[in-house]
Amino acid sequence: MIGMDRNDHAAIQAVLAGDKEAYGTLVVRHSHTLFRVAYRITGNEADADDVVQEAFLRGYRKLEGFESRANFGTWIYRIAVHCALDKVRRRRGNETSRVGEANDPEQDQMQVADEAAGPDRILLSGEIGAMQQAALHSLTPTERTAFVLRHMEDRTTAEIGAALGIDPNAAKQAVFRAVQKLRRRLAVLRVAT
Amino acid sequence: MMHLTDEEMIGQIYGESENTAAVEQHLAACRACAQSFAELRRDLAALDRAQGPARDERYGERVWASIAPSLAAYGQERPRWWSAGWSTNPWLKGLGYALACALLVSCAFYAGRLWERKPQPLAHVEPKPPQVKQPIVVVVLDDHLDRSERFLVELKHADLDSAALDSPMRDEARSLLAANRVCRKNAAQADDPELTTALDHLDSLLAEAANEPGGLNAQNVAKLQDEMNADGVLFEVRVLRSRIAHRKGTAGDAAKGGTI
Repeated sequence: MIGMDRNDHAAIQAVLAGDKEAYGTLVVRHSHTLFRVAYRITGNEADADDVVQEAFLRGYRKLEGFESRANFGTWIYRIAVHCALDKVRRRRGNETSRVGEANDPEQDQMQVADEAAGPDRILLSGEIGAMQQAALHSLTPTERTAFVLRHMEDRTTAEIGAALGIDPNAAKQAVFRAVQKLRRRLAVLRVAT
Repeated sequence: MMHLTDEEMIGQIYGESENTAAVEQHLAACRACAQSFAELRRDLAALDRAQGPARDERYGERVWASIAPSLAAYGQERPRWWSAGWSTNPWLKGLGYALACALLVSCAFYAGRLWERKPQPLAHVEPKPPQVKQPIVVVVLDDHLDRSERFLVELKHADLDSAALDSPMRDEARSLLAANRVCRKNAAQADDPELTTALDHLDSLLAEAANEPGGLNAQNVAKLQDEMNADGVLFEVRVLRSRIAHRKGTAGDAAKGGTI
């Protein structure tokens, strides 16, 4: 990792010196990581691809402000998280035809249509992943991102807070709320399995 | 025994518990919490199945190929005619500062001109109340009536045998006549019929006194006394003075913020 950091810094210096192609090595090196987190946050391949491109574009334009002591991977990762969060928020504003649970006290959040299938069908058709995606979509963008970063990306609450630009305690609460909602939402899977 | 909260269990699973040892100890001792903890762990583990689609090894190259054309190399932006050598040539830099200062001064001057010409907002245009101008008119009229009253009193009690009256009274009558015509004109413009009528009477008396053929001799003075008494000119002047005095008082109050 230290070697990679050194390579990243050397590439950044080269880019700032006018070697645009050096940025290509950074893109190649970090694209997969960015795609993974972008997909987990957006839940959509095309959106994740857009997020990766946008993150690297933003990163290039802000590269002069990048502190040499920082880790480029962490820095571009945060940019990608911001881009993905923006994407989810914009998409959420455009989405319609959402069905909410009648007893869900947080009706203001986005909820996808619940194609309530029976446990047998779920097992047989392998729709568990789809239901999990639906459950993740039911979270607010901040909750969803915080949960993805905590549960899937193994980021600490401090890192999540820094990535989302919120207090670590707020990040911790966002993760907590997300877990509670997901468990309620996916209770049917517990019965099925 | 206090059971663990969901928040404490979630913190324990993610390794961010504030007291890991105490939580583990409780889980070992409390069957209910241990069961809840196991269910939570299982639920969260199930979410690990949500894996994203894979991207091949050339994914990064494709991303770079898609964004590279829109990026300009650092330090190699195409120089523009107005910015070429701007930061390096001290003469150009000085010229730039001078131009900027000239532009700033011009703008300030122009803004100042506009500011001066700018009409005052309606909120600041307070029409002068008539009483502001009124005291000046009142004072002039009052002075004229005061002089006229003294002239009439002097005329009323004039010694018909004294020849010394002639020249000073005629001069005073002429002076008063000129002032009276100004006051009468103002009264007519102010649409004050009572004042206009009184000043008319005074005008005819003063005109006679000023232009009496043969001067103010005893006969003419006696005639003027009769006319003055018949018309009640002196009385009218005194009434007017009293009215003016009242108006002066109210105008003074208004000037002090009182109401009329």
